[in-house]
Amino acid sequence: MVDRKEIEHLGDLVKVDLQDPEKYILQVDQILNYFERLDKVEHDSDKTLRKEISYDDLREDKYEKFQSDGKPLIDYLKKDQNNFVRAPQMI
Amino acid sequence: MTKIGLEIHCQLTKLESKLFCSCKADYRSLPPNSNICPICVGLPGSLPTLNKKAVEKASMISIALGCKIPEKISFFRKNYFYPDLPKNFQITQYNAYGPTSIGSDGIVQIEGKEIRIRRIQLEEDPGRLVYEGSSQKTQITLVDYNRAGTPLVEIVTEPDFENPRQVRIFLNVLADLVENLGVSDPYLEGAMRVDGNISVEKGNRVEIKNVGSFRDVEKALHFEMTRQQSLVDRGIEVAAETRHWDDARKITVSSRSKEEEQDYRYLPEADIPIVGIAQDRIENLKKQMPESIVAKKERYVKKYGIPQQVADVLSSGKFYSDLFEKSHTESNAKEVANIITTDLMGFADTREKKTDLKLTHRNISDLADAIVNGTMTRNSGKIALQEMIKTGRSLSEIMSSLDLGNMNDASSLEKIIDEVFVEEEKAVSEAKQNPDTINYIVGKVMRKTKGKADPGTTLEIIRKKLSL
Amino acid sequence: MKLGISATEYLSLVRSGEISVEEFVAKTIDRIQAVENKVHAYITIDSENALNKAKLIDKKIRAKEKTGMLLGMPVSIKDNICTARLRTTCASGLLENFVAPYDATVVSRLKQQDSIIIGKANLDEFAMGSTTEFSHFGPSKNPWNPEYVPGGSSGGSGVSVSSLECMVSLGSDTGGSVRSPASFCSVVGLKPTYGLVSRYGLVSYANSIEQVGPIARKVEDIALVMNVIAGHDPHDDTTVKKTNEDYVAGIDTGIKGKKIGLVQQMTGDGVDKEILAATNKAVSKLQDLGAECMPVSLGAVEHSVAAYYTIASAEASSNLARYDNLRYGFDFGTEGYEFKAYVSKVRSNFGPEVTRRMLLGAFVLSAGYYGKYYLKAQKVRTMMKSQIDEAFKKVDLLVAPTMPILPFKLGEKIDDPLKLYLLDINTITANLTGIPAISIPIEISSAGLPIGIQLFANSFQEKSLLQAAYSLQQTVNLPEVPL
Repeated sequence: MVDRKEIEHLGDLVKVDLQDPEKYILQVDQILNYFERLDKVEHDSDKTLRKEISYDDLREDKYEKFQSDGKPLIDYLKKDQNNFVRAPQMI
Repeated sequence: MTKIGLEIHCQLTKLESKLFCSCKADYRSLPPNSNICPICVGLPGSLPTLNKKAVEKASMISIALGCKIPEKISFFRKNYFYPDLPKNFQITQYNAYGPTSIGSDGIVQIEGKEIRIRRIQLEEDPGRLVYEGSSQKTQITLVDYNRAGTPLVEIVTEPDFENPRQVRIFLNVLADLVENLGVSDPYLEGAMRVDGNISVEKGNRVEIKNVGSFRDVEKALHFEMTRQQSLVDRGIEVAAETRHWDDARKITVSSRSKEEEQDYRYLPEADIPIVGIAQDRIENLKKQMPESIVAKKERYVKKYGIPQQVADVLSSGKFYSDLFEKSHTESNAKEVANIITTDLMGFADTREKKTDLKLTHRNISDLADAIVNGTMTRNSGKIALQEMIKTGRSLSEIMSSLDLGNMNDASSLEKIIDEVFVEEEKAVSEAKQNPDTINYIVGKVMRKTKGKADPGTTLEIIRKKLSL
Repeated sequence: MKLGISATEYLSLVRSGEISVEEFVAKTIDRIQAVENKVHAYITIDSENALNKAKLIDKKIRAKEKTGMLLGMPVSIKDNICTARLRTTCASGLLENFVAPYDATVVSRLKQQDSIIIGKANLDEFAMGSTTEFSHFGPSKNPWNPEYVPGGSSGGSGVSVSSLECMVSLGSDTGGSVRSPASFCSVVGLKPTYGLVSRYGLVSYANSIEQVGPIARKVEDIALVMNVIAGHDPHDDTTVKKTNEDYVAGIDTGIKGKKIGLVQQMTGDGVDKEILAATNKAVSKLQDLGAECMPVSLGAVEHSVAAYYTIASAEASSNLARYDNLRYGFDFGTEGYEFKAYVSKVRSNFGPEVTRRMLLGAFVLSAGYYGKYYLKAQKVRTMMKSQIDEAFKKVDLLVAPTMPILPFKLGEKIDDPLKLYLLDINTITANLTGIPAISIPIEISSAGLPIGIQLFANSFQEKSLLQAAYSLQQTVNLPEVPL
């Protein structure tokens, strides 16, 4: 089911250069085969286990400045001299 | 038939904090990366907490656009990698598994045409990329996350527009609407951004992105419509693709990235519980919402007898209608409307000029009263208004310092007319034959009196003197 | 002075002035230095700060100033829980030097009560694994036999508590990650109800099912820690608003008259004989204590591993997307790289298990597969929850072995991911349904390896769960760790 092309596509989706794609093909295929059993599950319920919160319990719209040990967050991040974060080239 | 649909991103600029954290919603003109916290830059371990007011403001937009608001809303993650996206996913809403976005199935009327709103969703704005370096090779990308997490409402229409002109009208109506609701200032740079999709008869659908200002949307769509039509006319297939608007060249360009092939792997956002929105909350909100532009216009016409066209202009712009509401009285409403729409709008036509106005509500009200009870002419009123805009001084001060009182004293007016008759001898003799020349003489009198003379009275005296 | 005392004993010794905080912390640090090379529980040890903090607390005690209720108790924190000024690596090469600018809510609550963070405990990279072998910093080892795995993913937490390298530890439990090492290392571990303990500052792996949970040597110590860390947190909207309970009070209430169900699907053929025997023995002890035991069937358990790994991988693939090395991470310049190439390169530093789960997650969420896998997995969850609800109409608690097999040798199963996944069969039910579960040690096998038993209660019934665990604990007398 899973072939090299598929694994490389998945690698591209999660942005990982796969050093040894062959190894992953076998394992991912085996695990997905195991997941197949889910397809047979029949259970009629629209219930979800997710918590529900009322509108009233949401965060109030209030500005609060973030600081840690008196320093702004950018001081904890990679940055250039102008406090920009550098990213690679975009093509 | 041409079909056009829109995706409009509108920032909720009237909020204090971001959508999922307590950083400032107003990121504009701040030093790079000074408005960030662990949540909006997606540091490990941070969790989003939803801004209550953002839900309220988005609900108001949904209500105003005639959308249904579900009993429960929920959030999803849209997964893709991009440097302006600190978590490499965007928290947004998604209706593929049932309507859980803040609004869906709305309708807006544009000149008698129905534009259907497919859905309205609440989502976070990404950060901002700055490109430096001239050539492709030396280019570097810098990221400023100040904007990341700013509350954004996405409005998606059905492809119901038939031409770019309808789009322009719709966008103007929408901009006025969000402004009137007090949820956004659509004229702030980047506050309202529009993507479009367009297809002509027998052609595929093309997405248009990257249109900088929403005023350029009409141009971009127009260009694209013409381009597609000419392809179809020549029997060439229109490719289904995404094209970007090239602002410098004013054309659309095929974008190399295959965005339509992206697989966003939508996933429920488990960090944000499902939010229950009780029906009575919506009803309450409806009651609290500001009067709609349409209702406002109707009230202006019915209650004050303001002409349809004036009421139309006055009600659409929140700035002006607010000014009207605060300055008019029962008796001078019509004149206040007149001053605002014919004179003030010409003087204060930009954002900067609007904020620089020194003019007070009292100023406008007094001015309108003076015109209504005849102590001042419209002409003098215009001069006084200009002075009020600059200084905010009271009407009486301006009237005495600029000598703007109405010249309704007939004898002094006659004296000035006599002077003009001497100065303009030639015109006066011509006027007996050619009535057009009379207007010239009236103009001279007006100038001499700095506009204080009542044009009707002046004309009457001149006619009498010429025994016409 | 003994290190192997309970938290309750520690507090009374410090309060009475019999020992000082500094003495105890210093001795703990000595112990860490003596055993770390054998068991490798820690990624980072913060001895100096710990001692300074101990001195400060002693000073407060001597001056009779107000102190926090934990009185300098040394704790270890799993290294996927953020601590300000102390790096949080998630046992990943990508976060080797990451220092969070904030404390997780659970950490700040511990600090407020004057607990001392003595170090950051080892784990499987981003908590993905059940042996702690998938750590960038090397595996932790079972203190009962260092050739064996300590369980995981909170292996460092289990080992540090078992080896007397701290009093209690905070781990995280996504599919059994607190209970597995508790069972393998012969200590107690609780997975609280989803929404009872704040996840703010816990680095997300599968955020819809995981919880921070304490590991300790005694059930009453777990109750003590829960009194400090449980409760609503405005920074985590998934925490519930309810009045805090006192888990310590009445912990010795007993279980007379309680109905306890033995889960059939967790005691089948796949379970080691010695473990089954120990489980049966524990069940009869529960009966001796006055509980009524009966078999209970949870049919959905047979789908649970598939459902769990579908959901966990899907969420992992999204949660781990943020590690692109742009804003934080290791030193690796962006010059000369195109964005996608750069990101794919830095992310090739993820270990094999994390990579595997991200690939699986991308697959099950892909357009066209979502309905077949992810939605079905969610259906299993609701099915399982309705079966659990049914069960708790008949019984007060459920019981089952924590792990189906005994601890095994390091390296033995590392290359067979599916086999490792199947070891979670008894623990993941609690995660998928959100209910609390506790693992407590009940026996040492003939080969000298620990066996644990697991009790489940209905959502937010931690108090009665701890009472039952405490009752059972009082019947068990186990040897000290041979380290």
